Amino acid sequence: MNQAFDLKKMNDIILCMKQGADELKEIGSDFPALDRNLVRIRASLKMLEINISDAIESNSQTE
Amino acid sequence: MISEQKYWNPVLETLDHEKIRKLQFEKFKKIFSWAYERSRFHRGLYEKAGIKPGDILSFEDIRRIPTVEKSMMRDIQRKDPFPYGDALCVPLEEVTEFRQTSGTTGQPVYQPDTWQDWEWWAECWAYILWAQGYRPRDRVFIPFGYNIFVAFWAGHYGAEKIGCEVVPGGVMDTAARILKIQELKATAMMATPTYVLGMADVARTQLGIDPASLSIEKITCAGECGASIPTTKHRMESAWGARVYDHSGATEIGAWSYECQAQSGGLHVNEGLFLVEIQDMDTGEIITEPGRRGKMIITAFDRIAQPCVRFDSKDVIEWADYACPCGRTYRLIKGGVLGRADDITKVKGVLLSPSTIEEVVRGVEGLGNEYEVVVEKQGDTDRITLKVEFVREGETRRTEIERELVGQLRLKTNLRYDLQFFSLGALPRYEVKARRFKDLRSKA
Repeated sequence: MNQAFDLKKMNDIILCMKQGADELKEIGSDFPALDRNLVRIRASLKMLEINISDAIESNSQTE
Repeated sequence: MISEQKYWNPVLETLDHEKIRKLQFEKFKKIFSWAYERSRFHRGLYEKAGIKPGDILSFEDIRRIPTVEKSMMRDIQRKDPFPYGDALCVPLEEVTEFRQTSGTTGQPVYQPDTWQDWEWWAECWAYILWAQGYRPRDRVFIPFGYNIFVAFWAGHYGAEKIGCEVVPGGVMDTAARILKIQELKATAMMATPTYVLGMADVARTQLGIDPASLSIEKITCAGECGASIPTTKHRMESAWGARVYDHSGATEIGAWSYECQAQSGGLHVNEGLFLVEIQDMDTGEIITEPGRRGKMIITAFDRIAQPCVRFDSKDVIEWADYACPCGRTYRLIKGGVLGRADDITKVKGVLLSPSTIEEVVRGVEGLGNEYEVVVEKQGDTDRITLKVEFVREGETRRTEIERELVGQLRLKTNLRYDLQFFSLGALPRYEVKARRFKDLRSKA
């Protein structure tokens, strides 16, 4: 039933985005407009992890 | 075209059951550790039972973990960190949302959420709405008094997330809401079954509008079992000329199940985000096979501020013994939520579920949508009174309707009732959760 999605590539990009968000957070923690918007970005990235990254371990055939 | 994609998550929603179970097990361990390490309440509960995260090696081990009851949450709240108490797993400053339960069964429980939790709520709803055919072209009207109850808040944000245009029908009366639906040509809406039927009545009687002539194509229900009760669903679909879908969720849990467009007589459990266990109410055994009813014990894998780990929801459900033709591998619970363990009560020695009475009343042509059931003690015997309304043309067929009602009640509930008939509009109307079943025996 599964369509062939390149989950591994998707996950790699999600991890890069997450790393970028974490780095921004580190250098901008005293910058309210940056810090507060990053909370939202990181929450959205978590949703990508729930939808994509979490599925990878259980769905090795489509990796 | 993304709108033609059938599934919100084409990977998770079609994953083989064994792989889903593997995913659930891994995710359970993570949320269990999270709660154990960060909440004094959870750690205390698990330490008392002699269980720590490293002990969870199989689903059998999960079954040994104590369940959490709503009453426990009431006991620990209204204390520091105020007002949530010891179940809070994040610093208070990370909480961005407050909601509370409706208090139907006692003192309300407070529910804190972080922004991530709130995003997750909307994600749960995105699964629901996509499965029910909501797409970016939809204009969704939400006739809900936006307040401290979670109700359709997350539905609002879930619809926005998938790209719908959302119209918040907050502080408006019912007639104004109907006129706004008409004016904007809204294509979908979300409401309780009671309110969906009530709106249809107001449209006809106060505005002279046939609700089926409006542009609503689909309606998503919540808050009551009605959209999974075939006769109630039929009444709503006929009135509005629209498809009516059920879903189930709760403040302390999240939106955990949904009916899809196939309308196969059950709700899919969102097994990528939740672990649903069904527990035999007499033995405590976990039921894995279809066809046996029990109460739901549920875990939300990704809710972090106030985790939901093996929460005893008291919802009565059973696994379906068939797969849904929609292709989703997420299992179905047959007939949706069948009632609440604390609502199913013995009357005259017979187990009675209030939703069965609703099924009968809404199945008798000539009766209105409203009804009320009162159970009282008369001496040593239970007495059940059922109050119903005639629709206007129904009063002329009283004998025939009464005969059908008595027969169906006898057949479906095996009980005899004192019937009281009223004119349309005489019984109380509800906008949110209806309270039609009144058991006065304990107060006698």
